[in-house]
Amino acid sequence: METILQINNLSKSYGNLQAVNNVSFDVKKGNIYGILGPNGSGKTTTLSIILGILSANSGSYRWFDEPFSKLARRRIGALIETPNFYPYLSLWENLKIVAQIKDVPEKNINYALGVADLLKRKHTKFGHLSLGMKQRMSMASVLIGNPEVLVLDEPTNGLDPEGFAEVRNIIQSQANEGKTIILASHVLDEVEKVCSHVAILKSGELIANGRVGELLSSEETVMIQSERPEELSEILKNETNIKNVYFEGDDLAVILNKEMNASKLNKLCFDKGFCLSKILIKKQSLEDQFLELVK
Amino acid sequence: MKKLLNLEKIKALSYPVFKTLMIIHFTLFFLVVLSVSQINFSIPNFSIKGLFQFPNIWKFFPWVASWFNIFLTIVLISLVGNEFSFKTFRQNVIDGLSRNDLMKGKLLLILSIAIYTFLMVFIAVLIFGIIFTKDFSVDIMFDNFYLLLIYFIQAIGYMTLGLLFAIVFRNTALSIILFLIYFPVESIIRLFFKVNYRNYFPLKIISNLTPQPEFLTMTSEKTYINSTGNSSLDLTEIGLLPKELPLSTTLIFAVAYIGFFIALSTVLLNRKNL
Repeated sequence: METILQINNLSKSYGNLQAVNNVSFDVKKGNIYGILGPNGSGKTTTLSIILGILSANSGSYRWFDEPFSKLARRRIGALIETPNFYPYLSLWENLKIVAQIKDVPEKNINYALGVADLLKRKHTKFGHLSLGMKQRMSMASVLIGNPEVLVLDEPTNGLDPEGFAEVRNIIQSQANEGKTIILASHVLDEVEKVCSHVAILKSGELIANGRVGELLSSEETVMIQSERPEELSEILKNETNIKNVYFEGDDLAVILNKEMNASKLNKLCFDKGFCLSKILIKKQSLEDQFLELVK
Repeated sequence: MKKLLNLEKIKALSYPVFKTLMIIHFTLFFLVVLSVSQINFSIPNFSIKGLFQFPNIWKFFPWVASWFNIFLTIVLISLVGNEFSFKTFRQNVIDGLSRNDLMKGKLLLILSIAIYTFLMVFIAVLIFGIIFTKDFSVDIMFDNFYLLLIYFIQAIGYMTLGLLFAIVFRNTALSIILFLIYFPVESIIRLFFKVNYRNYFPLKIISNLTPQPEFLTMTSEKTYINSTGNSSLDLTEIGLLPKELPLSTTLIFAVAYIGFFIALSTVLLNRKNL
């Protein structure tokens, strides 16, 4: 499959702060790549570097298997952090600037405004829009050149539930058209629903990377109850096939490695002299996985 | 180039502050020259009309307009500063412009503003010159026209310095304040240098492109013969004006400074994060 983006050992620091540390991953054509991470994990910095806004201290990246060029930029539609437009210009004038930069005909402006449901406001000045509308305007500017790749950094920021759903629908429809999408988001449920792949960043480092399905199926969480739970917890923590044990209310949450499963855990507990009064396999969501990884 | 010029046109002409400041610039210039033309002083053998006659007017009008170049530089700084405060430089790069394109766009804007002010002064010179000069030929009419071309270089000089300030400080208000403060600061710094070196400072070089006209000579209705045999009053020789560099030398240094400002701005814009 064609590689759209190749990131090799990218690092960026601000003084003593290491914002991105040796990050590498590839995005293939048609991937919907989610980038997850808590605030300050390096998501926006990574995206800003690959879009040429920031320069990296070391490492490299290639778009469409060649060094980043002006032509490559025009094949990408991107939204980074907040919507950045001229507040004194109307939506139409702002998009005219984008259209001229991308060398696309002006008729695309109305199409993009229509997709973002802003056609009726085309003569409104950008500075007069609400935050949600500004975010939708950003989506319009991303779509104006019908780009092959969409890079979206928190595209649902500041949106009300209706706007949130609209933007999600736009992303979904672009994904259905086979476009490659790189999506940084805090909304884990969103990423899980939309993305095919995910990269998880923590303190500037890539701590997990792969297909969403693979990441979710690699580990299993089992909720158990028994007598003397503290004692059982200590015993389980020393087992090699058990990744982590922690209390969640009255339950003991046990995260198993690939080699372990619920019935093996039940047998193990029995062999150690514990009779389980509850055993429940919990399907792990991306959120569980994310919280576990960034802990 | 055409695309970049179009982009700058949309950004500038739709900006209310730009439009207002340009109207003020145009109005103020014409108000000043019109007011001066109406002054009557009763000194025998001297008349203010001499300033408005060909070819003296080519010296006087660019000198008056040169004061308003600072105003145009403030307009330019506010346009470039906006790109940083609205983060639109950043968005332009995301959308497909290179950083060199951003620089070229702003240089085209500088060139456009310089052409506007050049034409404004040119038209004003023709109108006032024709009104105030009784008998003139085409030769006399365009004698000293080159001074307007030098004024054009001066406008570019001030604005490229303003561009550098805007790129270094990335904040409209701060850049304007520091640009204005730079004028007295450079004058003070010059005092620490030997007299021979004082004329080579950037602002001094740029402002000397339109030297203060010799008002006494230009308003005099009589011809004076100075010691070198020229038919004008040499005010430098009699100590009324300080000795300046020859205009050709000043021009060479001004062009060099403009090149330096542009090069430094380009390097900074390419190296700094947007």
